[in-house]
Amino acid sequence: MKHPAQDQLALFAGGELGWFESWSIRRHLVACPACRKQAADFSQDRRTIRNLSAELPSDIQWDRLADEMAGNIRVGLAAGEAISAFDPPSDAAYARPRWFRWHAGWAIAAASAVFAAAFWLNLPGPQAEHLLTALRAIRVERVGKLVQSSEATTDEVMVEASRASIQVRENGGSLALLHPRSDGLTISVNMQGSAGARYIDSDTGQVTINRVYYAQQ
Amino acid sequence: MRSSSLLALFAVGATSIYAAILPKIDLPKDSPVAVIGADYGDSTETPRGSAVMVDLHASLSLRNSSGRHIRGITLLVRSQEVTPGSKGSVTLTSLDVAPGETFPVRMDVRLLRPGTSSGGPLQLGLDGVLFDDLSFYGPDNLQSRHALTVYEIEARRDRRYFKALLAEGGPPRLQQEVLASLGRQVDRPDMEVQMIRAGRATNLEPERPVQFALLHLPDSPVEPTEGMAKIAGNEARTPRLEVRNKSDRAVRYLEIGWLVKDGHGRQFMAGTVPATLNLAPGEKAQVLKETTLKFPQLGGGQPSSIDSMTAFVSNVEFSDGKMWVPSRADLVDPRLQSVLAPSPEEQRLVQLYRKKGLAALVDELKKF
Repeated sequence: MKHPAQDQLALFAGGELGWFESWSIRRHLVACPACRKQAADFSQDRRTIRNLSAELPSDIQWDRLADEMAGNIRVGLAAGEAISAFDPPSDAAYARPRWFRWHAGWAIAAASAVFAAAFWLNLPGPQAEHLLTALRAIRVERVGKLVQSSEATTDEVMVEASRASIQVRENGGSLALLHPRSDGLTISVNMQGSAGARYIDSDTGQVTINRVYYAQQ
Repeated sequence: MRSSSLLALFAVGATSIYAAILPKIDLPKDSPVAVIGADYGDSTETPRGSAVMVDLHASLSLRNSSGRHIRGITLLVRSQEVTPGSKGSVTLTSLDVAPGETFPVRMDVRLLRPGTSSGGPLQLGLDGVLFDDLSFYGPDNLQSRHALTVYEIEARRDRRYFKALLAEGGPPRLQQEVLASLGRQVDRPDMEVQMIRAGRATNLEPERPVQFALLHLPDSPVEPTEGMAKIAGNEARTPRLEVRNKSDRAVRYLEIGWLVKDGHGRQFMAGTVPATLNLAPGEKAQVLKETTLKFPQLGGGQPSSIDSMTAFVSNVEFSDGKMWVPSRADLVDPRLQSVLAPSPEEQRLVQLYRKKGLAALVDELKKF
């Protein structure tokens, strides 16, 4: 049995691999307890690191990053439009048989489709999500308000309860209730689709129960 | 419904970004509470990539405008634009607010809104108010009446228990029990949990059915008779439980507590399984929930992270609206005592002891 390399397992655990590689490694893990344990360890390490760095540094320039990405795509589109504005060369200059132009068009279209499919399948999840977000932003700018469809979020988590907050996710947005001044925190989940956090407010001394409810209940 | 929006009140002096995130407060015309002040402190609206993050820190001042003492209140928090179907609530319980008195309600809400549009404001409303005679006011869309009544019945039970200890052995006996409660609260394990849509397992471990161990509380009018859930690593999904009404009264609602033990022998409360039903005396019913619970901190994702599960009936509502909660004697069961959180009132009284001492606790008990 050929085992995946360590770095492949680590990328798999972080959801950083493309679809085909993920599928291939997932198949291997079903039959290989050693690699499965290793992938689980990577996942755990990742969770630990994520917990430790739950608050991102305040100096990350989110605006700048998003603007850069959207800007690059915008420049690409503008360049395309600018090139198309030029008069095409006359047929006489590039006299080719009609059948040749037709076949060349099909070949380019097919190659583009293969390239696009391969690119998309091998694009790691987070980058694909980022690209989609940037494209959506451009669409909003060009054609107006985007009406979000009901799409599933990562892992399809509906509600989440942690020591910092309770949170419900819907349509790519989220509503969280935080408990920053809490003593004696108790987390609870109701299988009807809600999560709660009970605590004593350290300023008022009141017993406070925050709860979030998923849409379908 | 009368709109008592505070937007106008706070528009003066607020920046345009600030005004955009102020919540809209809607209370019914005949509401037993009135908003007499609000402070939104350092609430902010910050762009985060292609989304906007709104942090609302609200401190409301409410007045009891009814003629009765308020014991509990639930406020509804929602954002039609960001999470159109989902919502949040903030509940205060173990209150004793006399007519005309004011009390604070604090809430810290974080909204993450996709896109760059500012969207509409957060909406705050009233879901219900419970009074000292156990009467209830409000639309009750979040089943606040049941929850607030259970808290109040538990509060009465626990105050009665502490007062009995005080009468039996004086302040030292009360102190002994409070310290024991404090110790249990410190030792009680708490687990972060995620609820996943449609009962789908998301990890790699093979799924296996696990039977619930059933805990029969002697006083309980309903007993669990059988139960099973599917376990895969640190996930438990699709719990199915069978219950029987052993009382002589019809039952319309119940909640089943669900305890989980991991491979290291740590036991914790996983959640509650509620059921709205019409269960005649002697009848059986099956409760099934198509949902998955995931415990991200459990066992590092290794196989068999969840080892065993226990179920018990945690509260029951009869068809006449009366409620049953476990007695103090029921709660002494060692399987429950180390795992169950104390009632909100016990937690409040213990906190009072911690902050202000035994004399303050004794004075507080004498008020009831």
